[in-house]
Amino acid sequence: MSVQITASEGGMPHNKVMAIGLIGSIVCMYLTYLNTITGTEIFSFFGGIAAVFALWWGTDTIKHLCSYGLGTGVPSAGMIALGSGVIAMILATKLSTMGLISSVMIIPIGCVIIAAIIGAILGYIANNIVNMNIPVMIVSLAELCIVGAITILGLSAMAAGSFVFADLVTGSVTFFGVAIADYQASVIGGGVIAVIFMLGAIAVQHAFNACLGPNESQDRTLMLAAECGFLSMIVVSIMSFAFISAGSAILAFIVSVLGWVYTYNQYLVMSKRDAYMWLDAKPILEKKEA
Amino acid sequence: MSALGGGHAGGDGMNPVAAVVGLVLLILALGIIYVLSPGMAFMALIGVIIGGVMIGFGVHFVPVGGAPAAMGQSPGIATGVTMLAAGAGLAGLFGGAWAAELGFGVALAGGAIGGGLMMAITCLMVNVVYVYAMGIPAASGKVAKDPITGDTFEAYKSKGTEGHGLPFISYVGGVIGGMLGGLGGTLIYLELLAVYEAFLPAALNAQAEQIVPLAVGLAGIFAVGLFLINAVLAAYNITGTIEGPHDPKFKRFPRAVVGCAVASAVCGLFAIILVVI
Amino acid sequence: MEELLFGIGISAVAGALATVSGAAEDTESDIGSQGDPNSQVQLAPQMGYIHRIYSKAISGEPPAYGLWCAMGAGLAWALMAINYNPVLAIVLGSAIAVFVQGVYATTAYLGRTASLAKFEQPVYIDLIKSVTTVTMAHAFIAIFTCVAMCFLMVNALGHPFPLPLLGLVWGIALGAAGSATGNPFYGKERQYQSQAFGAGVPISASGNIVRYAEAGQRSSLDNGWFTSKMGGPASGVCFGLIVFLELWRTIFFEGFAAGWGAVIAGIVLILIFMIIDRYVEKWARKTYGPYTEEAAEEASA
Repeated sequence: MSVQITASEGGMPHNKVMAIGLIGSIVCMYLTYLNTITGTEIFSFFGGIAAVFALWWGTDTIKHLCSYGLGTGVPSAGMIALGSGVIAMILATKLSTMGLISSVMIIPIGCVIIAAIIGAILGYIANNIVNMNIPVMIVSLAELCIVGAITILGLSAMAAGSFVFADLVTGSVTFFGVAIADYQASVIGGGVIAVIFMLGAIAVQHAFNACLGPNESQDRTLMLAAECGFLSMIVVSIMSFAFISAGSAILAFIVSVLGWVYTYNQYLVMSKRDAYMWLDAKPILEKKEA
Repeated sequence: MSALGGGHAGGDGMNPVAAVVGLVLLILALGIIYVLSPGMAFMALIGVIIGGVMIGFGVHFVPVGGAPAAMGQSPGIATGVTMLAAGAGLAGLFGGAWAAELGFGVALAGGAIGGGLMMAITCLMVNVVYVYAMGIPAASGKVAKDPITGDTFEAYKSKGTEGHGLPFISYVGGVIGGMLGGLGGTLIYLELLAVYEAFLPAALNAQAEQIVPLAVGLAGIFAVGLFLINAVLAAYNITGTIEGPHDPKFKRFPRAVVGCAVASAVCGLFAIILVVI
Repeated sequence: MEELLFGIGISAVAGALATVSGAAEDTESDIGSQGDPNSQVQLAPQMGYIHRIYSKAISGEPPAYGLWCAMGAGLAWALMAINYNPVLAIVLGSAIAVFVQGVYATTAYLGRTASLAKFEQPVYIDLIKSVTTVTMAHAFIAIFTCVAMCFLMVNALGHPFPLPLLGLVWGIALGAAGSATGNPFYGKERQYQSQAFGAGVPISASGNIVRYAEAGQRSSLDNGWFTSKMGGPASGVCFGLIVFLELWRTIFFEGFAAGWGAVIAGIVLILIFMIIDRYVEKWARKTYGPYTEEAAEEASA
């Protein structure tokens, strides 16, 4: 016997959340391209903001999907989302060198399309072959795969300053004062992508997993999703010291901390609003026998 | 994982239309790779599919009781099936990746044994805690007799529970599940590693030795990703909990085998296209 | 020979680190109430039992520790890349990872508890101040030892995986071993201390967790000293054995039969553990005996 998953009705319609999340994250992904245009690295933090948009949207998707009851934990949805997302994302970063379109501007859009294809196929497998019979399964897994792919793409771009495959796999090591290319000192070759993978996998499921219950409310859950996103950004901004200039990394760190403090504070306020009581050092309030 | 209802059982049958659509997708993926790069990449995709099927099949052996098992209300290990399988499979992947330079066969066997050893120790410690710390003998809730040892369970179930602990059949199932997980994960890793080591130097204009860390990193993260996809699909198939190979839910495995084969084919296709175009 | 001795020594150190890591992980998750037993902490208010237990619903322990250890390892890797001393880098990386863990813990407690308003469960804000810091302290030990172990595997034993990926792999294995071994002890023995010893919790008793202590009211901190008597050390032995035997069999036997020696040693080890398990199982059946008369056996025979 255990607790039923219950989620609130109403609030912002899911399609609106999805539209804001998708458009916001794609716009932010393109804003990181300002790095290449201006020849600096100070716009890297927009990658993290893209991830925040994506996680915010993914939380609402997970809420929709899990209210049907998956039979296994909410975290599993995050795992499959990021597991498929990482494949879509790495393939997308290499699209510009594959012939058809040579502009790197294809990468964020291509990432969404590839992820949608993989996610829809996985959704079909889960729904029809494995017989889950959940009406929203295909759409939800497609959305979650896009969310996973954009989250990893955004956070990787934030760490490395670029979303192009060649930049993600090549780092440089200063050896006796001479900078030489080294694949081991890169986001993918050094394994930093594994950290980004787990950051996304926990962040995308945490907000709903933590807030589920009879009094779950959408604005609080989504605020927590944004908080998880900014918290992940803090970690990535610290790791980005290894890849981009210190000034850009410090800027990214400041942006993430400001976003985190604001969202965490708002989340505290909303929890206080929704809680039955907010007590400090008080004993157990036994229910009165009716 | 915590705070979840049992969910609804999906029944035991397989949807024939969906299975055919799945097989068409599988053949399509193989066909695309065959056109783009027959030979090594094609064989690698077949290896990835076999590895994915092993992971999906292996998850069905792992005895997981979920939240009720933590209260001694149902048999099995008290954690989530996806992540327990992942823990064993990735421990196997550690061993397999380490032995990669000693040859294909040794690396595969090393991966399988790594996963099996992890589960053998974990399952033993689960029983030690149940027996020596909580004073509870093992009893299965799904069958009356252990198919291996012939122990009877009905009288050893404490009042108001569905059984508890890990009977020997579940222990053996756990070890087999860990082995299959480790084997599948290592197979995926080795196949992808071989493809990346072969194609990346040309793609990046670099020497083969320079490319090794990158190939390892890429193959490693893809192996983890594919492992989680297959394990989650298999977990959806058994709706979260299973006692081991004697559980009636075990008979659902053909669905997971087809599902994992298709999922691995599609994801493997994208992972290999990365370097062959 | 020297190389072999070096390898065995490193295996022993890694095994020792893993043992500490496993014990700290389980104690941390029991103090914070994470994983499967937490479902009962959730359920209690629905059944009318208001309590002052923490509720760290981050996810199962394996994914959570996968993240903490990968994060500690990734941050350490990045700091080493900008020429920090490895020891300092691992300590700083683990410390930042623990900060993230603490933030996740507070949001999980607030989220779950606020969502239970319908059942009149209040948020006890003092719990956040007292318990979170203690789980963070234990998590630091678990993460630091796990990352240090991974660092040894990469730098001393030459494993090909990059440090953050190893952190992910062993973090998930750490969580899996710790939750599998430690959860029943916390779930059954501690939460349901008032139920009969030597039997599972009857399903009808679900939600009736122990909420009062010897004196005053049970705090999650009390769960730490209880589970560190058995659940924590058992988890430590479990994870320590996994890491040590995995390294030991590879280093010691890899030279035999072109690498197959390590495989054979692994099979022998698995068989030994299987025999011990069968012995433990039979011992329990013989010593504790059945709960009811074995009437069913004659009927089915």
